[in-house]
Amino acid sequence: MGEEFLRAIRTDEIAPGGMKTVELNGREVVICNCGGTYFAIQRRCGHMNAPLEMGTLDGKIVTCGMHCAQFDVMTGGALSGPVPADLGNETPPPRIATMLRNVALQMQQVRTESIRTYETKVEAGWVLVAKP
Amino acid sequence: METEPRKKALQYFFEKIVGPMGFKFTPDEELKEFLLEQEVTLEAKHGIPFCPCQPIRRDRARDMQIVCPCIPFHREHFDALKRCWCGLFVHKDVTDPNRLPQLPPKDVGLG
Repeated sequence: MGEEFLRAIRTDEIAPGGMKTVELNGREVVICNCGGTYFAIQRRCGHMNAPLEMGTLDGKIVTCGMHCAQFDVMTGGALSGPVPADLGNETPPPRIATMLRNVALQMQQVRTESIRTYETKVEAGWVLVAKP
Repeated sequence: METEPRKKALQYFFEKIVGPMGFKFTPDEELKEFLLEQEVTLEAKHGIPFCPCQPIRRDRARDMQIVCPCIPFHREHFDALKRCWCGLFVHKDVTDPNRLPQLPPKDVGLG
């Protein structure tokens, strides 16, 4: 028996380079339009669960808007972890500096996992996604 | 994180940055693969793909000038050499990077 596909979104609802979140079978899935080819990925970043559609899509690489972890939307593979915090030459107030240090210490322990991808196909103007 | 996919991702992003500046990846594939691999290693360690041929000095302002591709910070020198220091990028007209001289800034009228 073949895999079951669900209607996710109309093809004209996302411009090339755009992303949109849909809920399918109770799961949040982000549909990515990579120059007319559609990919479906889990919504949550493999680093700290931020919503990936709020990041950027460049080619077939999605960059999370929270800490800039990157993922390949074709395979879901993690391409990079978070970038280090950039405070430039500014010295934050002591309380903020302490908080940032604590956050940085905890973030060092967080591993960036690959994300889940779902098979897609286009039929009659709809992007169909394999049932999550 | 796997090295090969990250190398491809860095190449994808770098190409878009260096192209408009008149540079391309070196045609020496072996060197390109080696340098990109070193950058992936540096990125995994420091979170930033630093130039593999430059020392990290723990001086933020200076270290930011060796984040690959560091062409904008050393443009005059690289234009004179037709390559960047490590050789990952060369001018678009270069076909044989091994023939390019490596000269210190003072020898090309800089510094």
